[in-house]
Amino acid sequence: MTELGFAVAVYQNEYLPEGGQEVNAIVTVTSPAEGPPAGHSDSAAESIIIDCSGSMGAPRSKIEQAKLATCAAIDVIRDGVEFAVIAGTDTAWPVYSAGGSLVRADQLTRQQAKQAVAALQPHGGTAIGRWLQLARGMFEQSPAAIRHAILLTDGKNEHQSPADLDAAIAACDGVFSCDCRGVGTDWQVAELRRIATGLLGSVDIVPEPEGLSADFAAMMEKAMGKQVADVMFRVWTPQQAQLMFVKQVSPTLEDLTGRRSQSGPQSGDYPTGAWSGGESRDYHLCVRVGSAEVGQEMLAARVSLVVGSEVAGQGLVRAVWTSDLALSTRINKEVAHYTDQGELAQSIQDGLEARRNGDEDTATAKLGRAVQLAHQSGNDQAASLLAKVVDVLDPATGTVKVKKTVAAVDEMTLDTRSTITVRKK
Amino acid sequence: MISAAAAVPCPACGEPVIPGDNFCEACRAPLPAATATAAPAAAAATEPAAPVPPPAGAVQACPHCPGAAISPDGYCESCGRRVPSARDHAETDLGRLAGVTDRGLRHYRNEDAMAVAAVDTAAGPAWVAVVCDGVSSSDRADEASQAATDAAMAVLVPAARAGEDAAEASARAVQAAQAAVAGLSIAPGGSSDAPSATFVSAVVTSDKVTVCWLGDSRAYWLDSGPEPAARQLTADDSVVAELISAGVLSAAEAAASPQAHVVTGWLGAEISNAPPHQMSFAPAGPGAVLLCSDGLWNYLSDASEIARRAATQPPATPIDTARSLVNFALGAGGEDNITVVVASFPPAEAQPAAKPAPTPAESIVRSPDD
Repeated sequence: MTELGFAVAVYQNEYLPEGGQEVNAIVTVTSPAEGPPAGHSDSAAESIIIDCSGSMGAPRSKIEQAKLATCAAIDVIRDGVEFAVIAGTDTAWPVYSAGGSLVRADQLTRQQAKQAVAALQPHGGTAIGRWLQLARGMFEQSPAAIRHAILLTDGKNEHQSPADLDAAIAACDGVFSCDCRGVGTDWQVAELRRIATGLLGSVDIVPEPEGLSADFAAMMEKAMGKQVADVMFRVWTPQQAQLMFVKQVSPTLEDLTGRRSQSGPQSGDYPTGAWSGGESRDYHLCVRVGSAEVGQEMLAARVSLVVGSEVAGQGLVRAVWTSDLALSTRINKEVAHYTDQGELAQSIQDGLEARRNGDEDTATAKLGRAVQLAHQSGNDQAASLLAKVVDVLDPATGTVKVKKTVAAVDEMTLDTRSTITVRKK
Repeated sequence: MISAAAAVPCPACGEPVIPGDNFCEACRAPLPAATATAAPAAAAATEPAAPVPPPAGAVQACPHCPGAAISPDGYCESCGRRVPSARDHAETDLGRLAGVTDRGLRHYRNEDAMAVAAVDTAAGPAWVAVVCDGVSSSDRADEASQAATDAAMAVLVPAARAGEDAAEASARAVQAAQAAVAGLSIAPGGSSDAPSATFVSAVVTSDKVTVCWLGDSRAYWLDSGPEPAARQLTADDSVVAELISAGVLSAAEAAASPQAHVVTGWLGAEISNAPPHQMSFAPAGPGAVLLCSDGLWNYLSDASEIARRAATQPPATPIDTARSLVNFALGAGGEDNITVVVASFPPAEAQPAAKPAPTPAESIVRSPDD
């Protein structure tokens, strides 16, 4: 029996018409409910990175709530986990560490960390890449298998070039994962999304500072639940096939296509980070295979979950050529659903961008389509967020009017959460 | 292995081949149709050498990629094409005793297994047949069904030849099949359920039919009277059958139940609650015993429908009947693997074949629109 059995279910219409080449499949992966054997990847390291720039002091509640939230997260860190707290401005420094190294959590060290956090005062600028680099240096000294950070900012990366930030993200990739939070509305969604996507984490808005504590505690709870580190999503494809894309489509949309590292002559690995027990995620694969004769069957992709060097579950994506149009034209419901979720996210982002650029026609068309898709697919959260940006006249047809005035927080919330999908009902 | 078939060697390696096989068991070379369908009258004595099952997943070379490796699940490691397996479609035609097994249209491999043997006894010829269906939610289901079939045949064939009590031999055959399946370990990366399979066997002598089963593979008696008639000899070990017999569900409700295929009895390391069942009877007149996996009865759940479709009237031969039923299931959707074995009663030497060459396996229509 395998020690780490990931369940893999494949949803697809395997039937292709004569000459057909494109194979789409949704792959649902569920991690084993029980934890891995002792010593497998039990060890964890955590870092909490807090924006201490001057703007965090205006209003004062931002820094005060950020400090409370950091303490709330520290309280959730279980004994034995290595941790540190980092403060970030146009530079970064360890607020709590052991001479720049992570500290093993126990009752005393958690208390010391909270005292150090309480003394923080806002001042200076914002250079998020430097915060990440400091965290990277500390994580690299740790033997922990699961390494995770929480990053909070209230502003833009003003004191560093975008290229430097990108270089920092690239340097941290594979060292730790990072959940990013923006408090208030003066930060940039695209910037934080870039960090979160690059470091396999989530991104979200916390409109009011008072919401930070609950959010931080929840994030840390989730991090403490991670059991298996560095899981790779491996995709084998046949000769002459082209893997068009690999996307995570649930719980959020993440295009993994560009994250491929070649793992064999015909296979590539895509990082999925750490998994909790019983966690379930969906992936969408699109493969363009060489055509074959009617009646032939081909393995279009073999999907494996790889932990270390061990294959911990696999699924088959197949292609079967048929002359029966009733079979080859059948739409797979899961594939259609997630194709819609992808279009929904894209429509929201395109619509908001058009609105920012003053292109009201495009904004109306895109956001209208988004309303229609959210309505059809039962994505209630997207529908209610959209309703704060547009007046919905008819959700079924996507007839909307863009509101004359939209609160910044509503626009940013819609943008940030546009990539959250729902599963098919 | 059937001794009469030994007269027909594999053209590639010279090893004896089983009549009806499309591929040589020894070297995996494809067999020409003439060889594969030779000796339909080989109803003579059998020499049950220790069964040599093809290792599950044993496949040939990819016809498109010389030298490319083949994955254990039967795909070319280079071009991804499914490499035909001897188990995708196999026929055995021993004249008055025949079987057909088919992968169906939806499953990527055939997890059913079957074996038939014609045995010479002091009291005349006897038929032995086994059908096993690997439980597809379990690991290595294809190997489980094959191992169970082989183990059961290794008990039933010598027992039949020696004229031993069929009921007692059947009980031992189930034990042997159980041990063989339980002996399979779970493959690395496989599903967590231990390998398991259903089981149904028939021993047909000149005066008695003995059927033994565990799970939801079935046996039917087909009457050779002027009116098609059939009756089911087995009772499924399934959630649904239990609900019907308890009066909770009607047969129609049961057919629509998502639990229709949840078996409550099986062979395998994870012991089920159900013990194997047996029944025997002395047919009043000529007919045939039909063994099948659920790939057939999914589409013909009622015995009368089986009788109507089976058409055991001459000149239909057992292989004709088995093929037409398998084709019917394929035409109805082929959702599962399909296996049908037909053993005529009373057992007798085959008549001279009405047709010189039975339909080659390749002509079996696999398209569901037929």
